[in-house]
Amino acid sequence: MSEERIIELLIGPQHPSSGHMRLVAEVDGDVVVRLKPNIGYVHRTVEKLAETKKYIQIIPLVERPSLADTANHNLGYVLALEKLLGVEAPPRAQYLRTILAEMNRIHSHFYGIGIHGIMLGSSTVFMWGFADREIMIEMAQWLTGARLTYSYIIPGGVRRDLPQGFEDEMEKALRYLERRLEDYDRIFIRNPVTRARLEGVGVLKKEDAIRLGIVGPNLRASGVPYDVRKVQPYCAYPELEFDVVVREEGDSMARLLVRIGEIKQSMRIIRQALKQIPDGPILSENYLKMIPPKWKEFMETKRRVKFPAIMANLRPPKGEAFSRVEAARGELIYYVVSDGSVTPYRFRMVTPSFRNVVLFEHLIRECRVADIPAIYGSLDYFPPEADR
Amino acid sequence: MTERPSSAIKLFDHLRAIGTGIKYLFLPRMTVRYPEEVMKLPDGYRGMIKYHKEICISCGLCAQICPANAMKMYLEGESQTSEGKAKVKRRPGINYTRCIFCGFCVDICPTGALEHVGIHDVAFDSFEAQLFKPKDFEKGPPVVEYERPPKLVRSKMDLRRGIIYEPAD
Amino acid sequence: MMNLMDLLKWIINLVFSPWLFVPLIFPGLVTVFIVILFIIWFERKLAAKVQLRYGPLYVLKQLGGAIQLVADLLRYLFAEPIIPESADKLAFMLGPIFLFAASYIPTVAIPVSKSFYAFRSDISLLISLGLLTFGPAITLITGWASNDKFSLIGGLREGYLTMAYEIPLFISALSMAALYGTMDLIEIVESQVGWKWGLFLNPIAAITFLILALMSTSRFPFEIVEAESEIVMGPFTEYSGILYGLTMGASYVKFYVLCLLFSIMFLGGWKPVPKFLSWSPIAPGVILLLKSLAIMVLGVFMRAVYPRYRIDQALRMGWHIILPMSIGSVFLSLGLLLWGVVS
Repeated sequence: MSEERIIELLIGPQHPSSGHMRLVAEVDGDVVVRLKPNIGYVHRTVEKLAETKKYIQIIPLVERPSLADTANHNLGYVLALEKLLGVEAPPRAQYLRTILAEMNRIHSHFYGIGIHGIMLGSSTVFMWGFADREIMIEMAQWLTGARLTYSYIIPGGVRRDLPQGFEDEMEKALRYLERRLEDYDRIFIRNPVTRARLEGVGVLKKEDAIRLGIVGPNLRASGVPYDVRKVQPYCAYPELEFDVVVREEGDSMARLLVRIGEIKQSMRIIRQALKQIPDGPILSENYLKMIPPKWKEFMETKRRVKFPAIMANLRPPKGEAFSRVEAARGELIYYVVSDGSVTPYRFRMVTPSFRNVVLFEHLIRECRVADIPAIYGSLDYFPPEADR
Repeated sequence: MTERPSSAIKLFDHLRAIGTGIKYLFLPRMTVRYPEEVMKLPDGYRGMIKYHKEICISCGLCAQICPANAMKMYLEGESQTSEGKAKVKRRPGINYTRCIFCGFCVDICPTGALEHVGIHDVAFDSFEAQLFKPKDFEKGPPVVEYERPPKLVRSKMDLRRGIIYEPAD
Repeated sequence: MMNLMDLLKWIINLVFSPWLFVPLIFPGLVTVFIVILFIIWFERKLAAKVQLRYGPLYVLKQLGGAIQLVADLLRYLFAEPIIPESADKLAFMLGPIFLFAASYIPTVAIPVSKSFYAFRSDISLLISLGLLTFGPAITLITGWASNDKFSLIGGLREGYLTMAYEIPLFISALSMAALYGTMDLIEIVESQVGWKWGLFLNPIAAITFLILALMSTSRFPFEIVEAESEIVMGPFTEYSGILYGLTMGASYVKFYVLCLLFSIMFLGGWKPVPKFLSWSPIAPGVILLLKSLAIMVLGVFMRAVYPRYRIDQALRMGWHIILPMSIGSVFLSLGLLLWGVVS
């Protein structure tokens, strides 16, 4: 007589901790036999939409899928576009781009830590993560004018310059965040309950990580020191010094510690960049000479840039371009093909969350039902970014 | 790099976690009590848009660059010129249900007829009230009405408490 | 033929007679409702203060949102209780009602002061603890009746967890009974003279009793039965309206009863009785209530500090750590008796 031992649990979109995706788990008692993710719930055809929009209009489009990490997505796309157009940004603009990208990395990691905390059950870390994210949001609002989707990086440079007094306020903010990280350590990371939930759970071995093509902090927590900012540097990274945070164990606790280490390295990069930033224009010469001279005084006093009229109808020559950046969740790839008209012929973006989806099936096997949210939170998987 | 946290006796870790929780019982909160306290936004904030009709030259660049198709040029009336030819002016109108507040139109306007104001929390009564035709657009941005006049606060960074909100008058 | 004054006197005598007052008013049904209204609000405010925000604020703003729970209860009363088509209707509807009742029935055996009690028996400690064991069986039935896989898993988790905490709970309580030489709750309080509280005599039993009280009523870090991020709401997933309100309150009621027993056994109960409270036999009960509220606040504060354990870790902790500790507390009690610290 056959016994039905295996229950099929639908951890679907209407679940407090499943995000915008569906997980189908086969559970035998308390042990998960198999888990299949079912992605595509928030697919919004970003790549096809980009074929109907002009090149400058794709900048806000490309920022929207990844909620917490918009500046890195913006930067990757503009680097590919600049290769097609053949322009290069001046050094001061490169430094400003780096500063905003690192502020976004801190922001995204706090978001990830908060979501991981609430999946484990600690609402304190959730609220604290989102409160500390607010500090980086306010600094970015002062610099760019918007809280979350900045659209700050344009082909040729950036839109605004540093306001007066930015360095001092940033120093105060970074010192406060360093003290807060110690409180996180005491109440969450060294908490014996957290250590019991996260140590030895969801171990990803080095060979599997390389074979499956995993990117980002998940890869660096398994012992592979691969970071696009060191392998193929862009923007101002060749002139800044920072370490790549690597751990050997490969379990969920290692992934959490890699993210906290990266926050500290980002703070180091921001401090160096603010000290070393050179003077100069913030938009490339090709475009500066197209702006009528009556705006020069306005641009000096308000520290902003006016767009030349050609920005509305950019027509890059025929060709294709390819760019890689290190977003907060991993390596982000853009591929743009242009056929000489105002809209691209083909636009392809490969996001880090999409490349990490395979870990759901690979890691959540022979573990308990309560390990599903623990591993999910440690991967920092964001469904809208994966589904685009 | 952070070392692996370790402590000889687990009880000390438990007591340290509870002690941190108790420490935070005596620290101040960080909420802005909206709508009794309203944040005064800094100068460069990308809020709603103000349109100066006299400076506009009807080039249409703002509508060409808008990523969300919120700015549209409307054909406004016919005015007879001295030669008797009908001259049709085009003026922009904005659809606030679509606007994403990116600021591209403000940055590209060659005469500076568009500028941002620091208003962002307006509530409208109906869907049609958010579609601003040119003659509504040139009257200026909508004004926020509060039940009681709120206290204005401004945000500032602080070494001990992170963000503090101090009164701004 | 009685006139109005005699009728009124008869009613007042009836209401204040011990066998009606203790189960219904204090520490029974009415006090249970007031304590739930207070403690859930206070839990939300404490957790909010640690998390740098306000909790409930706008209902009666001057007191900091103190009657928020009254608003919540009114909302639950008027919401529609939806009963799924394929659920076992009788068990679905009766489950939460019996759960709530079973959680507060043990208050019938708890005395309020030296001379005010519903009934006196020389095994009243065992009666209260024994009546508490009805709860998990009803949770299992509720989990099965909802016809939902998440409820099934939640109900089974409650069944497993019972095996981890029932035995050490009884052993810790009985070690205190061995120390005082009686299982009568009134005599337990009367034996704690001066500073000889149970907490200082046998601290191991106090710590294990407190941790087991957290484990048996799903307080953090043992909130396993209603783990929100794994099994939506455990056995109570499908409930809405007043039935949901009852299930939410049931675990707090059980915690309240366990805290009353903790104050009686370890914190000296209603002693010391100050002069201004000795005019009536009911008044010392206020001291008992205040001590229990203090312990409840301590237990409820854990929400702001800890994540939750996995069920196999909680079971392992119950059997490998707590059970040896409670057996150790029995030996400690016997040692104290042998050396004449307590006669």
